Amino acid sequence: MKRGWNFQAAGCVFALAMMTVSTLASEPAEVAAQADKQLRTEVPFANTTKTSPGRVGDEIFLRRISLDLVGRVPTPEQIVAFVLDPSPNKRDKAVQKLLADSHYGENWGRYWRDVIMYRKTEERAQLIAGPLEDYLVKSMNENKPWSQIATDFITALGSAEDNGAVGLIMAQQGQPEEVTAEVSRIFLGVQIQCAQCHNHPTDRWKREQFHELAAFFPRVSSQIRLMQGQPPETKVVANDEQRGPMFRRPMMMRRIGTPEHYMPDLKDPQSRGTLMTPVFFATGQKVPLGTKDADRRGTLAKWMTATDNPYFAKAFVNRMWSELCGEGFYEPVDDMGPDRHATAPQTLDYLSGQFAASGYDVKWLLRTIMATEMYQLPSAPRRGPEEPAFQAAVAQRLRADQLFDNLLHVLEASEPAGFGGGRGGPYARAGGVRGQFSAAFGYDPSQRRDEIAGSIPQALAMMNAPNFNAAMRGTGRTMLARLLGEIKDDKGLVQELYLKTLAREPSQSEVTTCLLFVKQVGNRTEAFEDILWGLVNSTEFLHRS
Amino acid sequence: MSQTFHLQADVSIRRGHVRRRDFLKAIPAAALAAGALSWQDAMIASAADLRRQGKACILLWMQGGPSQFETFSPLPGHANGGETKAIKTAVSGIEISENLPETAKAMEDLCLIRSMTSKEGSHPRASYLMHTGYLPTATVKYPTLGSIVAKEIGDVTSELPSFVRIGINRFGDGAGLLGVDYDPFMVQRAGSPPANTALTTTEPRYQRRLNLLPRLETEFANAGGKQEVSDHQKVYAQAAKMITSPKMATFDLSKESQKARDAYGNEEFGQGCLLARRLIEAGVTFVEVNLGNWDTHRDNFNASRTLCGKLDQPLATLIADLKQRGLLDSTLIVWTGEFGRTPRINPNSGRDHYPRAFNAALAGGGVKGGQVIGQLDAGGESVKDRPVGVADLFRTICHGLSINASKENMSSIGRPIKIVDGGEVVKEVFG
Repeated sequence: MKRGWNFQAAGCVFALAMMTVSTLASEPAEVAAQADKQLRTEVPFANTTKTSPGRVGDEIFLRRISLDLVGRVPTPEQIVAFVLDPSPNKRDKAVQKLLADSHYGENWGRYWRDVIMYRKTEERAQLIAGPLEDYLVKSMNENKPWSQIATDFITALGSAEDNGAVGLIMAQQGQPEEVTAEVSRIFLGVQIQCAQCHNHPTDRWKREQFHELAAFFPRVSSQIRLMQGQPPETKVVANDEQRGPMFRRPMMMRRIGTPEHYMPDLKDPQSRGTLMTPVFFATGQKVPLGTKDADRRGTLAKWMTATDNPYFAKAFVNRMWSELCGEGFYEPVDDMGPDRHATAPQTLDYLSGQFAASGYDVKWLLRTIMATEMYQLPSAPRRGPEEPAFQAAVAQRLRADQLFDNLLHVLEASEPAGFGGGRGGPYARAGGVRGQFSAAFGYDPSQRRDEIAGSIPQALAMMNAPNFNAAMRGTGRTMLARLLGEIKDDKGLVQELYLKTLAREPSQSEVTTCLLFVKQVGNRTEAFEDILWGLVNSTEFLHRS
Repeated sequence: MSQTFHLQADVSIRRGHVRRRDFLKAIPAAALAAGALSWQDAMIASAADLRRQGKACILLWMQGGPSQFETFSPLPGHANGGETKAIKTAVSGIEISENLPETAKAMEDLCLIRSMTSKEGSHPRASYLMHTGYLPTATVKYPTLGSIVAKEIGDVTSELPSFVRIGINRFGDGAGLLGVDYDPFMVQRAGSPPANTALTTTEPRYQRRLNLLPRLETEFANAGGKQEVSDHQKVYAQAAKMITSPKMATFDLSKESQKARDAYGNEEFGQGCLLARRLIEAGVTFVEVNLGNWDTHRDNFNASRTLCGKLDQPLATLIADLKQRGLLDSTLIVWTGEFGRTPRINPNSGRDHYPRAFNAALAGGGVKGGQVIGQLDAGGESVKDRPVGVADLFRTICHGLSINASKENMSSIGRPIKIVDGGEVVKEVFG
């Protein structure tokens, strides 16, 4: 992270205009302004003055976008350069700069890896978490349209080594019902699988509709072969031959796909059940029985990502909005209906329409949301259910990889290499230090964020993990030892440590607290080791606010 | 009532769309409505209640699927039985494999279920099933048995975690929808301190750091992070209380006499059983001890003999030790793996996966020992009498621990999930 940020004052006039006159503005700013306007007609500010509390200061803004985009805090040099930059459009420029950083793809690639892998029903799919992550990181950095990424997952075929997008199907061991449930949940925000066994109690989907969707996937199967002394063989294959079993009983293990999907008879689970024609529930479009696998899944992907399917764009916008603003239009993010109710539905519709019109341009959407006033509001605690929505940003707990990368980044430590090192995700226990860290700090990113709680093993890791404590020492070849030598003035050192760990200047009272502490301890090295320990163990370090 | 307050005592109750802040706000009203105690008082009262109840459970998990023929259901004289002989036990009429001579002597306390049956023959799915009572699905993360028990009858006032898992469990089942508070506390190796519980500084300096920490938190709390800071501090206080507690010595097996350590044998599983006994004695509610490598596709007879060697003495000692300390009646011991092994012996002298008929064994916790439940056909291929499904076993365990198995927890999308879906208590188990 030794990048320089060359914030130039160029484009000042244009930028000033952009802030006020929408006709001259670039598209994201224009859409952001319109979204804010729409949002406030649906959910006005509810404070005593009925006006906006305004946008956060530069320091918080920079930390926010840095954690949201590249998963780590800015360096003291970056903070100073940003704060001193007089350019009025410096916020959008900083966002664009971070979007172009390769850590952006790493951060969001790991996010989507977790979205998929936290719901895996096949434990051995952990084997392909690496290729899945690689595929996602690359796709995010290339800014592949979201529709293309969805298509890649839905139509995936081949070995994990060649095509990481087989990860979604493999995580569900190729079971048509589970794959269907995940495709619908992740890409449409619809939990249609609740209708798998019975008609859904609150949604209007029928059991048939779930199994009609599953009927796009019967010919697929996931094959994992573990052979001693050889790398595991992992692949998704399609079976268009009329060989092998013609049908399978519910939940039976499947090694090879079957020609068609049957809806099980609940009264007689061992019977064949009802033959299902593939129908896409959102639009009613169907393909005939006997269609080859490639056509089935290819057609489904086309229909799902078409702009006339309202769920596709909305599911993505809702999720990104929730990640960035701290609260989704629908919560949880992957349960949108059809009989759920959105907070500010018109704002969601508007943004979703614009996102679809952009060609599902992910970076464009992030840039747009980050330009909204909503995104830039000061933080407040999560609201109660009776309180109005979207009055403030809500602090978000960092994901395991973000926290781990921040620790390395802040302490200027490098990631220990070793067996399986460098891979996180759920249950990645054997995966080196990062894996152990993920096992303690990881959470399913689709879960409501107010349901994610801190745990004792997390506290123990932050307080006592030997490797991180060693990196926090004030002696030897550590970051702190270097700063203790370079900065002789205690106040200056306190400021530097705050900038480094929390990406902000300490308040006057914080400086006083720390200086008093240094005096009481009576040993400069020990005192600053304790202060660094305290900053890294603080709530603020663990959250993006 | 006690259940409600147990929940409220928790740091993080936000399941099923009840958000913590609303919940905390609701407490004074609820306490008033109850017309009696303050929340604090009620919490303490209910904790005392739970302690009086004092039930605990030890799960001895045999990863890989132990062969029933080489453990509790030998079949000498039949081709399917292979070379394994049967021996008499302390209970006349009950014979088990020659590989378990010490366990045979403890038969009066053991209830064998020879008619366990399921349909899952893959390790991960069957392990999940036998740990949670459910098959894995993408949308609901079912809680593992230890998490269920910790939530239902765990002692909230204990400085030690309610659920401790000893040894490596290959499959990552945890608290799932119940939340991290009920996740297993992992001890990788009995005898070594659990990860990150050793202080990296002197204790006075550690306290100095802990005192500094809240003073660095005020700014963030005032800038909209009040709730997060408060939660964070509670977890840190709990963690600090735990690691500086004298009860941490429970994890240190060197506190036991050499005689006691020897009685459990010097293998890792035996030391795990000793640690389990120490933890239960110290107030932990659920301990899972893992013994792996039962996947005997090759050389089944030798491999099973070796594994039984690791199992036999510790199991017998655990029962005797708990009994001698007056803890056996309140501690339910469950022995099982994810499935059994094929009656047919394969060309590699091995046995393959077989969920259709396998063994579980129970002891303590009100279980009537000295009995066998279920009967198989002559070749041990299928259950002839009294099949016990996974849900039946789970209901039975819940019954033994006074847990209402029909209670519903909420999934993250508001779907009610019963602790156990279907099944019936195997009443004979409790005599």
